[in-house]
Amino acid sequence: MAKWQQRLRTLLTEQFSLPSDIILEMPRITVIGNIHLYIENHQGLAVYSENELKLKTNNGYVQIRGTSFVLKMMLPKEILLEGTISEVKFLGN
Amino acid sequence: MKHLNSKTVTGYVTIQVKGTAPEMFFQKCANAGISVWDVKKRATDLCEGNIKLSDIKQMKHIRRKTIYKITFTGKNGYPFFIRRFLKKKPLVLGLFFSVLLFFFLSNIIWEVKISGVPKDIEEKIDKQLVSYGIHPGAWLFSLDPPTTIQQKLMKDVPELLWAGVDQKGTTFYLEGVEKIVVEEADPKQPRNLVAAKKGVIMNLYVSKGTTHVQVNDYVEPGDILVSGILEGEEQLDEEESETEEREQQDSEFVAAEAEITANTWYEVSVTVPLEFNYEEITGNQKKKYYLKTGDFQLPIWGFGEPDYSEIHRESHGNNLRFFKWELPIEIVETILSEKTYNKVSRTKEEAIQAGIDQAIIQLQNELGADAKILSEKVLHESIEHGKVNLTLFVSVEENIVRVEPLNQGD
Repeated sequence: MAKWQQRLRTLLTEQFSLPSDIILEMPRITVIGNIHLYIENHQGLAVYSENELKLKTNNGYVQIRGTSFVLKMMLPKEILLEGTISEVKFLGN
Repeated sequence: MKHLNSKTVTGYVTIQVKGTAPEMFFQKCANAGISVWDVKKRATDLCEGNIKLSDIKQMKHIRRKTIYKITFTGKNGYPFFIRRFLKKKPLVLGLFFSVLLFFFLSNIIWEVKISGVPKDIEEKIDKQLVSYGIHPGAWLFSLDPPTTIQQKLMKDVPELLWAGVDQKGTTFYLEGVEKIVVEEADPKQPRNLVAAKKGVIMNLYVSKGTTHVQVNDYVEPGDILVSGILEGEEQLDEEESETEEREQQDSEFVAAEAEITANTWYEVSVTVPLEFNYEEITGNQKKKYYLKTGDFQLPIWGFGEPDYSEIHRESHGNNLRFFKWELPIEIVETILSEKTYNKVSRTKEEAIQAGIDQAIIQLQNELGADAKILSEKVLHESIEHGKVNLTLFVSVEENIVRVEPLNQGD
């Protein structure tokens, strides 16, 4: 059932060019240089420290590494991260 | 930036969360709709972040369901700043009194400057001004407007031709122009005297010129009364020597001078109502003071309505000042005076007499004080709609001389 839904959604984005982050419920990550990272549509905080931020998403985790991290803003499904970012990694379940 | 400013205005606190995975607490707050910012991890079990002052209650509610320990480490924004400030009582009191003092000082006269008049008149003006209540140290809002002061001053100091009163901040500037009595220059210009109005000559006193009229003559406007042309033959007396005779062969031009009064007459129509109402102030009065901003009036002195049957209200306001600015606050003084309505009816005879009196006063005002009213006679009277219409014939003795320059050219 879930698989069938997933397939339909992919079809929708491809055929009707609808924004994929909405349809597929995936996070939208905006990175400005290596100092700012803006992540929307995440599913919650998993790990946060000076050097690491790990966010739950629909299909796994997003892991951001770097130094001197500060969460500039926290809203229900958005986070603005400030610091020096060195890597952004997608981890599967 | 504006986002941040609004938080500064409403106030925010820095909280420290202690426990395992403290960042999860902030996530919980964010999920509940509390905006969280500047989250920093201090240690593995210590996390710091800012939340709005108004969100504290909700945050505490969330905390109750968890095991985190929360401490407030920073209080920021104006609410805290003001509270801190208000705690310093002497400072607040000092500020309050200094504002009050400035307010007080901006509302009194500091200086009265009189210019343009000699010392003695200046002193006189100063004395008058003091009697009106204008002197250094007087309240500004208790004064009349400058135009009223100007009028009063002109009336009370007869030496003044003109007075300009100007109020600039806390200083009164008064500029005066002294009346200088200038002797009318002797009219060297040859002239005739002609009649200004029609009338019958009553008195004739000619000091210079050739008389053309006699007592009891009827003159029309423009008729020559005294001519400035001295004819040789006319001026000639039998005693005069022959040399003079020759000089006066040609006519000589002089400025005619004479005082001529004539009996003139006027027809005046007046309408006098048989019944009329008038209001009279009994002399009982009460003063009230208000602070007024816009349409709102706050009574500050004089409460309660006096039990007068009819009230005549008269109010005038003065703006309060602070430094050089006029505040939108007015001090309004209202004078409530008791008045009575009187209804008077009179008979036809009384009305006619009143009409005659009225007409005479009116005519006297028009003609000036020199004119003398000799007699008056009712020519016609009729009553219409409760009013008496009168046509009066008034005979007056007055000066009818008008100066007309002589043209020597032709």
